[in-house]
Amino acid sequence: MEKIEAFLHSLMSSPGLSGFEKPVSEIITQAWQPLTDEISYSPLGSLHALRKAASSEPRPSLMIAAHMDGIGLMVKSFSRGFLRVTQIGGIDPRVLPGQLVTVHGVREITGVVQMIPDRFLPASAAGKAPVYDNLFIDTGLGENELKRVVRIGDIVSFASQPLDMGDGYISGHSLDNRASVAALTVCLEELKHYNLQWDLWCAATVQEEMHLIGAYSSTFHIKPTLGIAVDVTFAQEPGLKDHTTFPLGKGPTIGLGANIHPLLHKRFVETAKEIDMPYAIETMPRSSGTDAMAMQITAAGVPTMVIGIPIRYMHTPYELTTLTDIRRTGRLLAKFITSLEADSLTGLTRKEVA
Amino acid sequence: MKELLQKLTQTPGASGYESAIREVIREEISPFVKEIKVDALGNLIARMGEKKANGSRIMVAAHMDEIGVIVTHVEKNGAVRFSNLGSVIPRYLPGSRVKFLNGVRGVIDSDKPEDLAKIQPMNQFFIDVGASSEKDCPVKAGDVAVFDREFADLGQRVASKALDDRSSCALLVEAIKQIKETPHELFLVFSVQEEVTSRGATTAAYGLDVDLGLALDVTPVGNLMGIKMQVDLGKGPAIKVRDVGFIADPGVVNWMVDGAKAIKIPYQMEVLDIGSTDARVMQISKAGMRSGVLSIPCRYVHSPSEMIDMVDYEQGLKLLVHLLSQPVKLR
Repeated sequence: MEKIEAFLHSLMSSPGLSGFEKPVSEIITQAWQPLTDEISYSPLGSLHALRKAASSEPRPSLMIAAHMDGIGLMVKSFSRGFLRVTQIGGIDPRVLPGQLVTVHGVREITGVVQMIPDRFLPASAAGKAPVYDNLFIDTGLGENELKRVVRIGDIVSFASQPLDMGDGYISGHSLDNRASVAALTVCLEELKHYNLQWDLWCAATVQEEMHLIGAYSSTFHIKPTLGIAVDVTFAQEPGLKDHTTFPLGKGPTIGLGANIHPLLHKRFVETAKEIDMPYAIETMPRSSGTDAMAMQITAAGVPTMVIGIPIRYMHTPYELTTLTDIRRTGRLLAKFITSLEADSLTGLTRKEVA
Repeated sequence: MKELLQKLTQTPGASGYESAIREVIREEISPFVKEIKVDALGNLIARMGEKKANGSRIMVAAHMDEIGVIVTHVEKNGAVRFSNLGSVIPRYLPGSRVKFLNGVRGVIDSDKPEDLAKIQPMNQFFIDVGASSEKDCPVKAGDVAVFDREFADLGQRVASKALDDRSSCALLVEAIKQIKETPHELFLVFSVQEEVTSRGATTAAYGLDVDLGLALDVTPVGNLMGIKMQVDLGKGPAIKVRDVGFIADPGVVNWMVDGAKAIKIPYQMEVLDIGSTDARVMQISKAGMRSGVLSIPCRYVHSPSEMIDMVDYEQGLKLLVHLLSQPVKLR
């Protein structure tokens, strides 16, 4: 897809909160339909796109998961003519005051998140960062009209529009994890003219931000030979230490840790070197915090891998990353896939690497 | 209705120790179901109806376990130290009474508090069963007790221990008795160990592998104690949109809302910021199951005196019977 930028824009302009992914799922379906052989959906709404191998059956399969859900808010109660909200996924309430949001009621309405002024707060809360109980949304609608349009449980999404910042830098909501969906799309584009030895399942999973719910059920359905999760990771930004973050625009990260099969890590490092692609090694000693956590322990277990795209300002209305790293991630995945022989990397156990 | 609530709430059944309550429920429903079995974890699973062309295979789960305590050791002076089975809230402990499965009763108090303004942790409480030494103490490490608090009929409202989740068990028992015709194959699960991460529903859902899941549970309410949520007592059963571990399938939510509208009962939409239910694990069973939750609003959840309103219970029962008797249309 030459217009990966336009595709990413449309992904970032779509709400698709955890549990309510349909709008973004429709956009991804359109993009993946011409690039794959079969599209199906899990009972929970995850999108499974299968690119069939050219070799004869039985053949191994690779599942690549990129979650498509985004974080946001949900209406929790009415407070006279205002709305109180709770979070879907983790949102630091400090980023919310002043943000423009869209309330998805009977019709979409725009609102602004506001907070109780510091001087009117009880002494125990004054001078401190806002908490959800002290935040509310003003839609400008009167109490009666608001109750006609909005129902408890309606979702509220960030209204921030994608920003092009020059030199391929892009900012907006839900780059976590639509950046990875875009990377997976680049990968599928790259694979267009190749015959594959392995079946390739691209899964745009639901509800990653809610306990990895989509990845469990999708992995159970697909039962892949190998699994890869593509997700965003922390890029260097002011106030964060270099050893816990990764440089922005310097390539994807290649995960290493208990959630990752060491041989897959090694293969990805070799692949990156082979095509002269810059990368960073991301150590994940405990949890990778990605869909790979669910993939690894589903059914009888799956050898897994994690590839990361560095972004800044994670879980805010203006996350930021570069198209360069998105394209690189797609190309790295494609190169790994085309290098898979029918009998390589199957039947992996943890014994291969001591 | 209150008689059944009283019977089910007053029967003991701590998480992992559900034998007594299981037998009471089995006796209630046996004449009305086609088949009944108990699985390896102790879930009581009843089957009703045959799946017709316009029907589905549906799992309905109400957990029959309740929170309780388990003895960790007995001190030389006969004081019984304990740990919790499920989320026991320490501030409800002083002055509580417990009843062990072997019939022994005891009262709870704490070590002398260093700071009266602070709630002490669980390990600073003890149960006094009237023993004067370790030797003549009638309970030992590993023995299990539930809270001992009688059923109080307050008229429109009732209070008891274990309304979480025996009120839903009672609802499901009465629905089983009332459902005459259904296009569905129904699997009615009285699940175990919900209070310790829904272990029963996990295996029940895996074993049944159905199209649609519905959990029945209580939900905390707002208003009275400064909890900021919209659900209130007496305003109808609640249809869950989300809790901490679960986002209900929007199609299932709308199916329930449409059902409530069709039979013209009041209902409330529930957005909960604490706790979760069996639906959390049902949803991710195998390749995924579309799931929802019908909640009975309940005050003082996980205290020895929980409270529900009979209006919510009766309207919830009507809704459950309606939903399980009609073809399911998920939009």
